[in-house]
Amino acid sequence: MFGRFFAKRVDSKRAQGVNCPVPMKTTALKRMILGGLFALGLTAALAANPALAGRWRLDTARSSTLDGWHSMDLVVALNGSQVGLTHHMQWRTTKFAATNSYDTARAVDLKNYFRVEQRHMAVYPAKGGITHATAAWLDGGRTLRLEVETPVEVSQGNVTMRIYSEYRLGELGDTLTLIELHSSRERPLVYVFNKVTGEEKK
Amino acid sequence: MKTMQSLIRLLALLSLGGAPLAHASAEISGPAKVGRSAWLLHFDSDWKNASGLPEKAMLIGLQGLANRTAPRLYITHADDFPWEITGPIAEFYQRKHGVQFTALKTADEALTQFAQYAKGYVVWDPAVMPTMNVAYTIAGLEDAVIVTPALIPLVAKHGLKPIDDLRGRYAGMTDVQIYAEAKGRYWARCSHDKLMLMGGHAGDMRIPGVADWGVRERMFFHDLSANPAQPDEVELEKQFFSEMNPGGFVFGWHSYAKDTEEQHTTLTSTFGLRMEGLQSLPNLSFNCQFSFTPGFRFANQHHVDRATKLVAEKKVYLAFVQSDGIGLGVWTKPGRGRLSLAWSAIPSWLEFSPAALEYFHESATAADYFIGGLSGPSYMYPNHIPAERFDGLMREAVRQMERLDERVFEILDNSAADGNVGNADLTKATVDRYYAAFPNVIGFINGYGPARTRDLRDTRPMISYDYYVDPKRPRDEVTADLNELIALNQKRPYFCMVHVRESNDVNSLVEVIKNLRGPVEVVPVDTFMKLAASNQTYMTRYQDPDDPKHFEGYTR
Repeated sequence: MFGRFFAKRVDSKRAQGVNCPVPMKTTALKRMILGGLFALGLTAALAANPALAGRWRLDTARSSTLDGWHSMDLVVALNGSQVGLTHHMQWRTTKFAATNSYDTARAVDLKNYFRVEQRHMAVYPAKGGITHATAAWLDGGRTLRLEVETPVEVSQGNVTMRIYSEYRLGELGDTLTLIELHSSRERPLVYVFNKVTGEEKK
Repeated sequence: MKTMQSLIRLLALLSLGGAPLAHASAEISGPAKVGRSAWLLHFDSDWKNASGLPEKAMLIGLQGLANRTAPRLYITHADDFPWEITGPIAEFYQRKHGVQFTALKTADEALTQFAQYAKGYVVWDPAVMPTMNVAYTIAGLEDAVIVTPALIPLVAKHGLKPIDDLRGRYAGMTDVQIYAEAKGRYWARCSHDKLMLMGGHAGDMRIPGVADWGVRERMFFHDLSANPAQPDEVELEKQFFSEMNPGGFVFGWHSYAKDTEEQHTTLTSTFGLRMEGLQSLPNLSFNCQFSFTPGFRFANQHHVDRATKLVAEKKVYLAFVQSDGIGLGVWTKPGRGRLSLAWSAIPSWLEFSPAALEYFHESATAADYFIGGLSGPSYMYPNHIPAERFDGLMREAVRQMERLDERVFEILDNSAADGNVGNADLTKATVDRYYAAFPNVIGFINGYGPARTRDLRDTRPMISYDYYVDPKRPRDEVTADLNELIALNQKRPYFCMVHVRESNDVNSLVEVIKNLRGPVEVVPVDTFMKLAASNQTYMTRYQDPDDPKHFEGYTR
């Protein structure tokens, strides 16, 4: 089922207005009408659903099993085209936080990209590696799509791992499902988060 | 129910040996003779401070006294006890050493038989738990049993008189104050070759299984912390360590409530001391008095000669290692023998528990292969062993490997790791020392969780684990993890060393292997090393100073 995501990258470029051909014969009036409609559509496509913002807590019972972490909170911060994803991880008594900052208007290069690793595998962030990432809103702003190419160190040296992720907001706005696919892994990793209320943050 | 069935089976088995010989027949010294009587207690699973602990603590201490001059008392444990081998080894003693066990059913019966080896009793205070450790220290020095107030009538009934009473003496004092006071009273008379770290569980239970050994050997008992957040305790423990004889042993285990295995092993290694776990390890006072059966020699099941040269094909080679304390978990579980598995036997048992090592070798299947380690003659973190102590310790490890017929050596330094994740790498200086100290090995393994120290010098590879099988991880995810490693390491041959955590189920790993992708071949560890020596597709790497460290270590 995930092959279709890779096959339809052109749609995301279209949504961002990048090299997007208009597949019909146009007149000046049509251009104006189409331009107006396109602008409306573009605005809708670029806008994130505000319900995505906030703190989300991993529902371990409904998620792929973490490896080398016991718990995870995800904090989504939205600011225009910028999206910040902060991971609050815990392993035993060790707490760790890391933020990846994306931009739906442009590709970004990240120096310290954080990946929810399977920590019992000898796969490490490559020293000095730069991670290339693109982000886009889909489904009327309810889904954040990330496409990442990150260098990792394995026993044979450095290689690139492609990671395709979708963060899908549930219909009621109280769940967030992350589906993560690695170029190197046959099984997707599925993480289900529940919205954290003010009380639960404590 | 299962426990009861095991006990019935064991006692039925033991009863086949006939009636016990006269008690005097056990009065020998030196290696045990064939045909002797001994007594056997069976413990249930109740180690709670408020219920089962006091009586068990008394009996284990009594065992240490009873076994001072001969192996008289052996304890078997419930099926859920950490060491699952107490029953099989009792059977081994009967079968191979002619030991004829008589079952003792109660503490009263045990005291009837063995109170003669105690000169009196020491009272400890269950409300001040460190007093149990102080009482054990006194027990070793004064030949006393340790009792809570509730047990006084029982030992008095057997004619034992009070030697000391710790009630009130340590009330309101911190652990460090208690042990500092006890150090002043008793340490000078205790062994300076062996120290007892009686930690482990905290809260409402304790499992002082190795206390018999500490009492027999007159060790100082404590559970001081190696956690830098408790600097007073660390400093006091450093005092003990600095006053021990070179190459000394620390038996037992760290307190789960105070610090971590990584912290404590780092501290013992910093002083060049040998860590021997666990606090629950039973029967050393009995086991130490038996040697190997006549004519027995360790004969490991090597798959390649030392001089053999193999050429790796364009395949994915996997080897599996179980390096936690042998006897903890997998050995007695169904499935052993279905997967080629290397085992890190506990080499110091050559000295303390030879029959247990002989039992493991005797019961090995064709798929079981023994390797040396861990890191030295005992459990140590080599990045922290003082340079002036390293070669002497490793000479002992080499000697152990020769006796055990082992050719692959396993190393672990988790000092900078966070449990079984994080930095488990060796510095280049440490790697250099190992290559110099072990000229005759065919290869080294490094890590516990995954690590990335790798090397190849002459024909001796050093390979770190690429994967750690967490027993709780779903098997389809384990399969996916291994397949991902195979996909990311695209060169062939790819050498993937896998560490199997002690409580894994071998049968499930066999199923995992069936679902791996690519030209996969599982090989024994010695074969793996020879193949890895033929084509270095792995990167040479040591601990990078820039790699994150969870813990930096101590100064002496």
